[in-house]
Amino acid sequence: MAVLGSKKSKVSDEIPSSSMADIAFLLLIFFLVTTTFPKDKGLAIVLPEQAQEQEVPQKNVLHVIINPTGTVIIKRGEQQQEQQVRPNDVEAIWRQGFAENENLIAAVKTHRDAPYRFMVDVLDALQTAGARKISLQLLEE
Amino acid sequence: MGLKSGGLQRKSKASQEIPSSSMADIAFLLLIFFMVSTVFQKDKKREILWPEAEASEKIDAKQKEILNIWVEPNGDVYINDLLWEMEEVRSVVRPLYVETQAALVVSIRSDQNVPYFHVDLLQKELQAAGALRVVFATELEQDLIMERR
Repeated sequence: MAVLGSKKSKVSDEIPSSSMADIAFLLLIFFLVTTTFPKDKGLAIVLPEQAQEQEVPQKNVLHVIINPTGTVIIKRGEQQQEQQVRPNDVEAIWRQGFAENENLIAAVKTHRDAPYRFMVDVLDALQTAGARKISLQLLEE
Repeated sequence: MGLKSGGLQRKSKASQEIPSSSMADIAFLLLIFFMVSTVFQKDKKREILWPEAEASEKIDAKQKEILNIWVEPNGDVYINDLLWEMEEVRSVVRPLYVETQAALVVSIRSDQNVPYFHVDLLQKELQAAGALRVVFATELEQDLIMERR
């Protein structure tokens, strides 16, 4: 009797650790497959509050007009003179304009049928040039 | 003769096998990395051509504070996989904006060929909803690509 009672059970009372790696790899593969790294890069801008319109003296405004074909027309404030450029040239124009007038505001006016990417190109050029005062509008005909 | 007893035949004491005992640790390390970095997608991916911009920067907001609004070339607007009318956007965005304690950032995910007036209408809707922090989602423009053009 005493012999029977003291006989050790052959079943180990420890959790088998050899399969631990398998479990870990299984979970690992699950997360590998389900992971999507969020693709959130972009051009940040803060919209003005609704019905918060400000009168801006014309001399502080740099009009940037975007046509459906992707050509950009620059009009400086009070001057009637128009200048046709490419979206990438806006960067240099802003830098030059901002050096002359620190209160300069870029008014980006996009034609209603112009593809979105041209507006992004111009916004990109302005942000690359460090412009902070940008107004996005629809071109009124 | 002398070769057989020479040092060439002696076995190195270092094991030739890759130690397998640390395999579990490596697996767990990777596991934890992927668990932490996983974000389950709220809405399904859409096939769109991203506009490209050099000044693209990472959105400075928590993942759950970012709301994706998709604009398709025909003017369809999708929020959380549901199609909405443009006029309904303000009533959809407003509760989400309040929920995040005004920290909501709207990411406008639009195809590069969408006519601009759709995007303009969306901006007006977001203004009406009070969600003023907006990001135009873009792909980073590589200088190499620019040179090739």
